[in-house]
Amino acid sequence: MAKEYDVVVIGAGNAGLMAALNLQRAGKSTLIVEQHNLPGGCASSYVRGRFEIDPSLHELAGVGSMENPGSIRKMFRELDLPIKWVDVNDCFRVIGKFSDGSPMDVTIPSGRAEMIDAMEKYVPGTRKKMEKLFRLFDEVSEGLEFFSRTDKYDLKYAIKHFGNMLVVGAHSSKIVFKAMRLPQRCIDILSTYWSYLGVDLGHLSFLHYAMMVRSYLDEGAHIPTFTSHELSVALEDKFRELGGDIWFNCRADSIIFEGDKVVGVKTPYGDIACKYVMANVNDDIVYGKMVPKEHVTSRIRRLSNARKHKYSARMFTVHLGLDVTREELGINDYSIFMVGTADSEKEYSNMMKGFESNEFAILVCYNVVNPKASPEGTCLCSITTFGSPVDWNGLKPEDYAEYKTRCAEKLMSIVKERAGIDLFGHVEEIAIATPWTFARYLGTPEGCVYGHATSDWDDIISRTLQMNKDYPIKGVRPIGAGGPRGDGYSSAYQCGEMMAQIAIKELDGEAAV
Amino acid sequence: MKGEKLKKLKVRISNFKFKDMLQFKNMPLRRDRAIEQAEDRDIVTSFPINNNAKLLHPETQRMVVHKIIERPEAGARTLILRTADGSPAAWFRAGQYVSLKLKIGESCVTRPYSISSSPKLTKEGKVCITVKRTIGGFVSDHLIYNVKEGDRMLISGPEGFFYHDRLRDSRNVVAVAGGSGITPFLSMAYAIRDTIEDFNLTILFGSRTEDSILFRNELDMIQNETDKVKVIHVLSDEDRAGYEHGFITADLIKQYAPEGDYSLFICGPEGLYRFMEEETRKLGLPARRVRREITGAPKNVECLPGYPSEAAGRTFDVKIIQGPHTYDIKASSSESVLCSIERAGIMAPSKCRSGECGWCRSKLLSGSVFIPEQNESRRHMDRETDHIHPCISFPLSDLVLEVPRGDFQL
Repeated sequence: MAKEYDVVVIGAGNAGLMAALNLQRAGKSTLIVEQHNLPGGCASSYVRGRFEIDPSLHELAGVGSMENPGSIRKMFRELDLPIKWVDVNDCFRVIGKFSDGSPMDVTIPSGRAEMIDAMEKYVPGTRKKMEKLFRLFDEVSEGLEFFSRTDKYDLKYAIKHFGNMLVVGAHSSKIVFKAMRLPQRCIDILSTYWSYLGVDLGHLSFLHYAMMVRSYLDEGAHIPTFTSHELSVALEDKFRELGGDIWFNCRADSIIFEGDKVVGVKTPYGDIACKYVMANVNDDIVYGKMVPKEHVTSRIRRLSNARKHKYSARMFTVHLGLDVTREELGINDYSIFMVGTADSEKEYSNMMKGFESNEFAILVCYNVVNPKASPEGTCLCSITTFGSPVDWNGLKPEDYAEYKTRCAEKLMSIVKERAGIDLFGHVEEIAIATPWTFARYLGTPEGCVYGHATSDWDDIISRTLQMNKDYPIKGVRPIGAGGPRGDGYSSAYQCGEMMAQIAIKELDGEAAV
Repeated sequence: MKGEKLKKLKVRISNFKFKDMLQFKNMPLRRDRAIEQAEDRDIVTSFPINNNAKLLHPETQRMVVHKIIERPEAGARTLILRTADGSPAAWFRAGQYVSLKLKIGESCVTRPYSISSSPKLTKEGKVCITVKRTIGGFVSDHLIYNVKEGDRMLISGPEGFFYHDRLRDSRNVVAVAGGSGITPFLSMAYAIRDTIEDFNLTILFGSRTEDSILFRNELDMIQNETDKVKVIHVLSDEDRAGYEHGFITADLIKQYAPEGDYSLFICGPEGLYRFMEEETRKLGLPARRVRREITGAPKNVECLPGYPSEAAGRTFDVKIIQGPHTYDIKASSSESVLCSIERAGIMAPSKCRSGECGWCRSKLLSGSVFIPEQNESRRHMDRETDHIHPCISFPLSDLVLEVPRGDFQL
């Protein structure tokens, strides 16, 4: 007879690993079942020749410095996981066109004062307005922390202390930037990070965007020295060390109920008994496949169908192991955003039309900040764009290799034309990741990596406020990129931790009864 | 300080501050309304992208041995496999391999075999592999002497990176093939003929004698049908007119290589790779212009430099943990841990058996193993944290090993 667990975590993605580790640490016997043979989901790596390639991570927010640790560094520290963080230093360089069509080549350093100085240089006369914007960011941050601590908040207190946040809270980034009377060029520069959340500024909650920009500027961005597999393997091994069980190549297909109570999970090893299931799986799969139909409420179905655009933008990345150094290629910036236009709404709509009209690319060269990223005399780069599922829906398997190669060629040409960096002729290893790749390894709907696209009515604040309504089935908690915290590594870790705390409370509450 | 901040910072969206605040307060209501207005129908859980990805990368393909072509001259046979349900087989890139999953006696073993047919045949559900008899080859003996037409067989999806990629490789490829190492190049030649691939392929094909040349007719035929493929036969044991004689040396490669830029692709037995190491150096090609097919685990690991001699010839106790199960097995120092696992009848995952694909990645909980330097391609952090690839790990002590689940169900 197999062991009985308090909790089974389905999926060893970032949220799943973090949740499982927190549960096991709190004394809840926990089993992770993972369909792939590796931990981490997107947070992983693979080896091609003499290169080790990170499939997804550009920059991790919320790490902060040794002296001034951010929430993520604290989280890993508290779990006693020594990660060798690398500081990314600069925020970004963006090459392309301002909304008005004039050429744009802007480099933004990390650090608030440095950023404000740089902005003043590029768009003179913005210093005061930028300072004001940062004060608003701070208020938003304090306000959100206040809201995250309380279920029922005191509105009077909130109005007194976070009045500005309440004023901007329901609005998109675009509306708030305009209301702050920022010059368009300043907005254009500030827009650069929009793609990291996969939604244009017109539909991106200001609170969400403010939190991200603030974190990248104040705390800087970081990567682990040895790819994001370093993070995942640290979590995997710590979980084992604390007595947790983790089974790979082991896809759980359904959750077993007795009456309305969760009693186990079906796995290829047989039924595994447990009291609680955390699924690091998109909730459409959890409620559409794993939970028996009779437990799925009308609201759950309606929520899924209300998400018209359903899943966030699909990723396309070319990973290149190059047989020359970054200096020889003339790469001086860690990440260069090449945009067709800084007008995020126009850009987003171009992307959604398909690859032909997509002019957006991010070049990352890991060696700029991490000399250990690849062997001596070489460098490791990736070029990423986001796109619509339309290109990938109707493609035939026999046309796939040629199509992805053509897309990769286009991105390399964009890099050559816009940034003057010629990567052709130096390719020692190439790996191209498309939505099919993510669908293959992660099994996410349509190969999405960002979960459900956020939208004006479905932003992370509203999701967080309605968490219990969204996930009404007791003992089943979907976690991960589709969850209330939205996408991104740090959001997923935070989501996993937060949901584990809830699960622990619920399990203890049950035991008390 | 905070009060001062608040005084200065007065953000306005609309004319009435409280209208905006109310809007914020009502966000959950707005969301409820959006959800209530949506249709109450089943959640969609099937997506074209995911379905396509499965067609291209199936975990397993259920095949039957459709036809067997005996090639006694080369001590080999070609198995034409066809999907059991008649559906198309997974499309592949010429040069890729499939991993066979076999139950032989009590053992559950895998073996990688390059696909020797054109990708076009997948449309008819067909995939060909060619097996050459090797002395004492447990699996090749089985495939040559036991397998018959109509048998069912489980294979993986297409795997590996030994194919032509125009962003990576030169338009001109010089292939060095030894014996059954011709199979991926035959597939590439077919793909060029069928206009699936577009590059120039010059194959230097080493055989012992004229009579033992594998795929002689097929290669002649393809050369007649396309001028992009050229085959030069190199006989090691015979000096005959119309053939090159001896080994495939740097000089011979230079003689047939096109002017200027080319990529060198190498596939053959263990000895060929060793020989080619020095020859490649002489050619002075950059690393990106030389590609080798996976090599398998070395045969005599106990003779390799760096092998601790005190472990040689010993048998160790190995505890295997797999999901909720544990098994106590014996492992010989001369065999990879994967071989011992398979011998014991435990179903464990593996594909390339060369250390490259990482499919067998396992956690070494105690004990130590020897990993030949040439096969070391683990992730950096896996090396630091005792995650090993059992297919190229040889026991040096008793071990406790946690392995992922394997699936061999026909």
